[in-house]
Amino acid sequence: MECRVLSIQSHVVRGYVGNKSATFPLQVLGFEVDSINSVQFSNHTGYAHWKGQVLTAEELNVLYDGIKLNKVNQYDYILTGYSRDTSFLEVVVDIIQELKKANPSLVYVCDPVMGDQGAMYVPENLLPVYKNKVVPLSDILTPNQFEAELLTGRKINTEDEAVQVMDLLHEMGPDTVVLTSTDLPSRQGDQFLVALGSQKIRKPDGTSTNQRICLDIPKVNAVFVGTGDLFAAMLLAWTHHHPNDLKTACEKTVSVMHHVIKRTITYAVETAGPGKKPSPAQLELRMVQSKADIENPAIVVEANVLDKSPDQKQ
Amino acid sequence: MECRVLSIQSHVVRGYVGNKSASFPLQVLGFEVDSINSVQFSNHTGYSHWKGQVLTADELHVLYEGIKLNNVHQYDYVLTGYTRDTSFLEMVVDIVQELKRANPNLVYVCDPVLGDHGSMYVPQNLYPVYKNKVVPVADIITPNQFEAELLTGKNISSQKDAVEVMDLLHAMGPDTVVITSSDLPPRLGDRFLVSLGSQRHVRPDGTRTTQRVRIEVPKVDAVFVGTGDLFAAMLLAWTHHYPNDLKTACEKTFSVMHHVIQRTISYAHELAGPGRRPSPPQLELRMVQSKADIEDPAIVTEATIIS
Repeated sequence: MECRVLSIQSHVVRGYVGNKSATFPLQVLGFEVDSINSVQFSNHTGYAHWKGQVLTAEELNVLYDGIKLNKVNQYDYILTGYSRDTSFLEVVVDIIQELKKANPSLVYVCDPVMGDQGAMYVPENLLPVYKNKVVPLSDILTPNQFEAELLTGRKINTEDEAVQVMDLLHEMGPDTVVLTSTDLPSRQGDQFLVALGSQKIRKPDGTSTNQRICLDIPKVNAVFVGTGDLFAAMLLAWTHHHPNDLKTACEKTVSVMHHVIKRTITYAVETAGPGKKPSPAQLELRMVQSKADIENPAIVVEANVLDKSPDQKQ
Repeated sequence: MECRVLSIQSHVVRGYVGNKSASFPLQVLGFEVDSINSVQFSNHTGYSHWKGQVLTADELHVLYEGIKLNNVHQYDYVLTGYTRDTSFLEMVVDIVQELKRANPNLVYVCDPVLGDHGSMYVPQNLYPVYKNKVVPVADIITPNQFEAELLTGKNISSQKDAVEVMDLLHAMGPDTVVITSSDLPPRLGDRFLVSLGSQRHVRPDGTRTTQRVRIEVPKVDAVFVGTGDLFAAMLLAWTHHYPNDLKTACEKTFSVMHHVIQRTISYAHELAGPGRRPSPPQLELRMVQSKADIEDPAIVTEATIIS
């Protein structure tokens, strides 16, 4: 497999977020990963302390220039995640547009990180950049419920509304949308959360058909950092192997997440000791220890295909 | 295995040198790798063009401070390689010394990158810093012949010379020395090059013993970048698993190198086409494709014990 990913994300010296979270699993699955580190921090910002440096939009341009001057600016995928800077995000958009011109088949996997549980945790002025420039370029989008609602201006209270929001997101750009988590009630009870996915498959005759799925994912009683980054990276990998089968791609992706998270929580609770809440340092994903699960995830969740409207004209 | 490495090396967006060369193989072998990127460049400096930014000694200190403030500055290994800046190198030494106070069993694996084939390719003022400050705190060093001669002030014209130079290096600090390549005449013919290793042990009764090995590895007709970084990382891994058996550690390390290099050269020739010399991008190590060899290298070279 000869597949090259350009991943533009954070680097932390210790732990697994951003590029640290995405790179190893993709490499283990055989992808060539070129990585531009948007920041270098000692660790993620959930620790008591964090220190480091950020890359400016100009410096990002300079790095991309180096790649371009050597004529090695050919990529099959781009992957981006957490960003705090509008000018940085705008240079990312420019780069993607140029790379898409160089390779029209390029797939841009975008995690539109803006917030969760009803509140934004990035500067507000990123929303228009995501909405008007980033999302239109993306091919695969992994918003949570809050981000999907923000981008479309629509609330999600039912499964039908989730499907409508995903359709609106398709219209904005991406043919593949995965709502990574929602507040929708799960058929399996309150120990589960509901995720949904929608993939527009374009047929040769010009019509398109949507495969829509939903998954019930076991909730975990802990706050993890870097799981969204791992999710987007693994969705990239599994949609690459199953490009017209979102059901299987999501089952594999969600299953990998499950194995990594279980291993992590077990280790964290063990390290913390009985009755003690694990610290951010102890809750770092057990990435390296999960290599076998990453390579070949045992499927632990089944996605349900949703019946919806028949084939639509493009 | 719960083993944490702090690796302070370059980062390149594309390709495999520095931390890009060291991290993946160590992670594949189950090591936790914390990495401080001393630079971020688009690619290594053997390409026609390269662009990027360097980390200052202050910025390095700031990153280390973050780790320390969170009380997570416990490492089993530190790994360093190519550096161009004396103040940066001095900050690295301070960090290593502090980490050794936090964990007296810490092993510092140091590739004292100074030059090759008779000339220095880093600023000359790095030499005294390596000699007087870095090598004394190192536990494992991987100089080539030129670097070994430079650090000890003694020339290597025979295996006997090499053994003396390695003993001099032991006296400066590290208990494990591997001269990664030399001009010594190979017994297997001129398609090979000679490497040597020496490891000092203290017996339970307090006496010292030294295991010395000689390995001959096939020469390859190409210039690779990042192979020294991969070598140091893999020597770290295999001496970790064979702490008292330099022979086996070297056989595994040199074997991994062989597999990665062979895969790389085959692919590079295929890409370049018949009669064409492969370019630097085409010669990037086939790291990701060599995962199985990294995990479990088939031994392709035998080290001989020398006295």
